[in-house]
Amino acid sequence: MTIDANQMKEQTEGNFVGNAPFRGVKYSSNKKLTDEDLQKLEERIPKDEELKFVIMGDLNIHSRYAKSFLAVTNKMIYGFDDSFEGGVKTHTYDKVKKAYVKRCYGNAILVFSMDEDGKEFVDLSKEYVNFIRFSYKVASLYDAAANFIQSVAAGKNMDDEMQVMEAAFEKQFCVCPKCGRTLIRPGAPCMNCQSKNKIIKKLAAYVMPYKWMLLFCMILSLVTTAVSLVPPYMTQMLVDEVLPNGKKNMLIGCVLVLLGTYLIQYGVGSVRSYLLKISGDRIVADLRNDVYKKAQLLPMRFYDRTSTGSVINRISGDTSTIQAFTLRVTQEVVVQFFLLIGIIVIMFVMNWQLALLSLVPVPFVVVGSRIFGKKIHPFYRRIWRRWSAVSSILTDTIPGIRVIKAFTNEKRSVQNFEAYNNEWLKTDISASRITTLFPNIVGFVVTCGSLLIWGVGGKLVIDNPDFISTGLLVSFISYTSMFYGPVNFFANFNDSYQNALNSAERILDIIDAEPEADFAQGKHPDKLQGKIEFRNVNFSFDRSKKTLSNVSLVIEPGDIVGIVGTTGAGKSTLINLLMRYYDNYDGEILVDGINIRDIDMEFYRSEIGYVQQEPMMFHDSIFQNIAYGCDNVPVEAVINAAEVANAHEFIARLPDAYDTVLGERGTGLSGGERQRLSIARAVLKNPSILFLDEATASVDSETESLIQDAIDRLIRGRTTLMIAHRLSTLRKANKIIVVDKGEIIEMGSPEELMALKGKYYKLIQIQTMSDQIRKTKEEERFD
Amino acid sequence: MNRLYIEHDMARFTRKDITLVDMELYDGRKYENLEPRRLFPISGLDKYITLLDQEGIERAIIRDVRTLPPSEREIIEGCLREYYLIPKVTCINTCEEKYGVLSIDVETDRGHAVIEIRNILHGLKLLYGSRVLLRDGNDNRYEIPDLQKLDKRSRMLIDSFL
Repeated sequence: MTIDANQMKEQTEGNFVGNAPFRGVKYSSNKKLTDEDLQKLEERIPKDEELKFVIMGDLNIHSRYAKSFLAVTNKMIYGFDDSFEGGVKTHTYDKVKKAYVKRCYGNAILVFSMDEDGKEFVDLSKEYVNFIRFSYKVASLYDAAANFIQSVAAGKNMDDEMQVMEAAFEKQFCVCPKCGRTLIRPGAPCMNCQSKNKIIKKLAAYVMPYKWMLLFCMILSLVTTAVSLVPPYMTQMLVDEVLPNGKKNMLIGCVLVLLGTYLIQYGVGSVRSYLLKISGDRIVADLRNDVYKKAQLLPMRFYDRTSTGSVINRISGDTSTIQAFTLRVTQEVVVQFFLLIGIIVIMFVMNWQLALLSLVPVPFVVVGSRIFGKKIHPFYRRIWRRWSAVSSILTDTIPGIRVIKAFTNEKRSVQNFEAYNNEWLKTDISASRITTLFPNIVGFVVTCGSLLIWGVGGKLVIDNPDFISTGLLVSFISYTSMFYGPVNFFANFNDSYQNALNSAERILDIIDAEPEADFAQGKHPDKLQGKIEFRNVNFSFDRSKKTLSNVSLVIEPGDIVGIVGTTGAGKSTLINLLMRYYDNYDGEILVDGINIRDIDMEFYRSEIGYVQQEPMMFHDSIFQNIAYGCDNVPVEAVINAAEVANAHEFIARLPDAYDTVLGERGTGLSGGERQRLSIARAVLKNPSILFLDEATASVDSETESLIQDAIDRLIRGRTTLMIAHRLSTLRKANKIIVVDKGEIIEMGSPEELMALKGKYYKLIQIQTMSDQIRKTKEEERFD
Repeated sequence: MNRLYIEHDMARFTRKDITLVDMELYDGRKYENLEPRRLFPISGLDKYITLLDQEGIERAIIRDVRTLPPSEREIIEGCLREYYLIPKVTCINTCEEKYGVLSIDVETDRGHAVIEIRNILHGLKLLYGSRVLLRDGNDNRYEIPDLQKLDKRSRMLIDSFL
């Protein structure tokens, strides 16, 4: 694998930025400082201060695009912004109580919360300093800077904190500047950008396994093309020699030769078509398998941002477009190419003047084709987008048909679909204007070409019959019309090529997308004991809001931990990170002392059981749904798992028992029944670590008690994290974590937290009251 | 739900910080350090402005900023201007896609910027036929308020990606 010299240079520069030491001391920065920037630093920073790092931003305090930067020394914090008075704002560490990044919409501000002595720095408030503004482009660096400033202000060792800061800078360069992918190490060449030469080259990899079959087909194409050139020559013989001279034997001979020609042409042609169809189908089946396989391995953040409709469209629609194109390329292009070459050679041999004349329309067709390609490409992209929107409506509404009916929203649903479908129609019609007009213009130009031959050739036959015979002209006209066939084909080929190119781009978007950490790589311990540790974990789904901030906790093996907090506090995010649905967090998560990013993903997830709030069932039998993800499971193990999960009894009562095939997403079962199947799944998996996400939410008391029994049996001897609101779910917990606004605000045994009378105490109070009300209501209902 | 909706001269505001206000209601109730935020930042810029306290608890909703007295309106709008940065694209200089990243060099009402969109389907949305919302790879937002009002060249450059 060769590394592009420019890319290497760019990344090397990116890695070290290229800043010369400031007053002989190295400092970190996200960009190279200009002489003007250095001049400002030189003027403002006293000689006895040591520059630690610089963060170059892109906004001034008034939210206008302008250069601004934060410079942090061992003694002071400097904010350079031309809109400040004097162009700079300064602050000392000792005044800072808290430093944080205030996230606004599309921009953020570094804020210092101060003690009383810091009043003179206050802008409008007496408690805060809005120090410097920046866009989200550098928000993560500013996050690290805020932590640095606050830690140093709190008296922590500056050198230790500087290591964390440097790691943040390094992380900035762990991203490919071209495609934004994470690199294996800072400044490493990007595997994606290196290999992404040509889309066609990538698709060619799918053709290679069938190259011998395709080569054989190509030979057959040569045969059929060669024999297709015979009939016009025979026509010339018939017109010039056989018919005028009454040579009956020769006539029979000519007819027999033509018969043989047609037999070979169509016989060999059908074998070739069959073989090409097989190879074309296999190529596309391989491609489809790869796209689906890759779609399974893509991280959750891909699905957070990509609609299901567009993924389905790529797997079904786009692969079909490529199938059609592959067949067109493999069947038609070869035939048409050889035909074109053969005809040109014959035409020049027959009469080079007429041959040249027949080439007159070709430049027009070629130029027109290029213009057409440029015009049509955006249309295909637009059509696809509109069609993806239509697909998204389908994937959204068809599974949700019960809700639509329940709210009698059929009319609106139809109107909505029609609106999107009409958008597609409008775009498709706009494209049709070009796609239908262009072939007709080409056809017209080509036909005019044959008129030229008729005119000029006809005159030559009349004026000088010895030079060009009638038979030669008729034969030439046949070759000309045959010649324009391939010309026309290649002119229109651009259309399907552009369409296929768009599809290929979208398919490669999935195939080339960065997958989750590769399976079967990383550490593979024998068994996980279940010790979980979070170290300063920060995470946000997007940069506009921090979902988890500075989460640190330790869970010992066998602990049963209840995670409580209000909706949106970050409880499920803790589980999502532990499940490794998202790996792009700051800080470390360790299981048994190993960073979970270093553990083999397949092994890691196989050691975890996850019972979700809304368990997902598949369109398959109950048996297969319980045994989901486990191969060759003994029947009795599944029955035992169902028994443990309190599911066996209701399954046995079903007419088809374990063979009952569930509808899509488990329709046909109640919520509580689905939940018990999901617990049975977890029991069968026998995990070391277990996550329960509001497993008893939205079920009645009786079902809750059945599920709770099942859970009690399931959690025995396993490290368990339970997200729960209900007291009944938490009664087994020996540790409680209270999450609020992405931070852990309380942690300890239930008794300790009750004694603390904090957030947990309040939540329990509210829960107790609402449980009592619910119980009373249920009793009333039974009465 | 006793949600407090504010209209006309029901409240008096004092600017506390670039994005914070103090509020005094007509009945004498006072709230400090409230942050005005749009409930509909995309579809309704002036309507339904929620006022959140430092705990993130909503204290009131301004139904329509335009109904407030001019002085109060200016305070609220000033805070919103500080909080929301959605530069409006006035001209597109270049627009090219490479390695799946759409790079758009633009002039905005806040100055010159280069918008890098990594996922075109997600980052470029056409609303109501002529309004375009852009979101770059770093979650910064931009807007083309009316595509038809852009010059012909700019329209042509962005058009094929919409």
